[in-house]
Amino acid sequence: MKSGECNMKVNKNCVGCGQCAAFCKFGAIEIRGKASFTSACIECRACAAYCPVKAIEA
Amino acid sequence: MKTIIIGSGLGGLLSAAKLSKAGYEVEIFERLPIIGGRFTNIPYQGFQLSTGALHMIPHGPEGPLSQLLKEVGADVEIIRRKPVSVIRIPRNKKDIDYKFGHKDIIFEDFKIPFSLLNRLKLIYYIATTRKNPPTGQSFEEWCRKHIPQDWTYRISDAFFGWALSLKGADVPVEEAFAIIENLYHFGGPGVPMGGCKGVTDALVDIITSNGGTIHTSTEVTGLKLDNDKVTAVIVDGVEHEADLIISDIGHPLTAKLIGTETNVSGMDEYVHKSKDLKPSAGIKICLSSDKPLIGHGGVLLTPYAKRVNGICEVTNVDPSLAPAGKHLTMSHQCVHWSDLDNLDREIELGLEDLRDIFAGKEYEVLLIQSYSNDWPVNRSPSGADLKNRTPMSNLFVVGDGAKGKGGIEVEGIALGVKNCMQNILME
Repeated sequence: MKSGECNMKVNKNCVGCGQCAAFCKFGAIEIRGKASFTSACIECRACAAYCPVKAIEA
Repeated sequence: MKTIIIGSGLGGLLSAAKLSKAGYEVEIFERLPIIGGRFTNIPYQGFQLSTGALHMIPHGPEGPLSQLLKEVGADVEIIRRKPVSVIRIPRNKKDIDYKFGHKDIIFEDFKIPFSLLNRLKLIYYIATTRKNPPTGQSFEEWCRKHIPQDWTYRISDAFFGWALSLKGADVPVEEAFAIIENLYHFGGPGVPMGGCKGVTDALVDIITSNGGTIHTSTEVTGLKLDNDKVTAVIVDGVEHEADLIISDIGHPLTAKLIGTETNVSGMDEYVHKSKDLKPSAGIKICLSSDKPLIGHGGVLLTPYAKRVNGICEVTNVDPSLAPAGKHLTMSHQCVHWSDLDNLDREIELGLEDLRDIFAGKEYEVLLIQSYSNDWPVNRSPSGADLKNRTPMSNLFVVGDGAKGKGGIEVEGIALGVKNCMQNILME
């Protein structure tokens, strides 16, 4: 996706555990070694609370 | 005695259950919205995936974790079904991968691929090392000196990769032999009904029925110290007083909470030692299929795969972990620290392995989960664990950063909690 489409950022703390993706109600997070947001993200920020390493910044 | 527990992972919950049963007033602060740390379920597309562990208890219904659960009265059913563990080898003796077919042998037959000479040596070493376990080297070094054969390294890397997420070269020989001894003693793995959450839910029930409380989405950000004692934990700027503190967040993060401004003796050494621990890393690939891919409830070790160490299909024991008519299969592969910068490639190699191992079978990749650094497979690599004590006299560390000797993953957590509780309850 183009940068700027979604304001959610994943910092270098991310280990790719997938907890954010599992709790995302919009199926908007892809995991492969690290999380990345897709255009389905509505920036509800629900995922950030589930991140065990504080890797999601908005 | 007022006790505050930082973190609701398995170590924190086991400690809380034990202490609340002994009459302590227990309060747990958990930073995340969910309880259980890396030992609970996450619902995903109708499947019960997990936050970390693979819905298996390494020594099944007779191991240290199961014993501790019984001791605190937690109602968990752990089922061990035969075959408990199976090894997949190539069909043709000369092959070095699964591309041209495979055959499965039961774990007890792991001796078969050894040369006749090495089989005889093995019988000798099995007898002698139980009395005089070797020391001062890695398990791989010991193997190279005593049973040098390709199969030795393959089966030990598969086993320790699956059990500890470490290569044989990174397991101290003392720890390896302690684990082998425990395997003889307690037997192989079992599946907890309901998965990891079956265990953590049962513990939560015990803790709350003993009057304990658990706060989620509540982060401890600091400690209040008085000489060598912690007098309170700080949550949202508010001090919560306690007589005893149990930390389930590992030694390095606990050291950070204590901070450097204390002049308690041993702090420098503690910070130094905890920083030296290299958390073990790994990748779990979760698969969905209509037909079983493995067909039994044990572990399938894959010593001829490039990266995958082992696989389990827990729905053969507990079908409720997948939607009706589906199976949940999970592979685990150790990621060596030197490969952490190249996780993409490690994942790709794992996926290639699964295509070879399950050639001709239909499945779908549900989720690929990786673990390292501050959310690892084990906070301390097995065999290097620090004990439960910290420089603060009433602050103890439990969990996968303070495992007991010879304890595979959650069994190590249970042994560590047992040691820690002996320290506390004897005082």
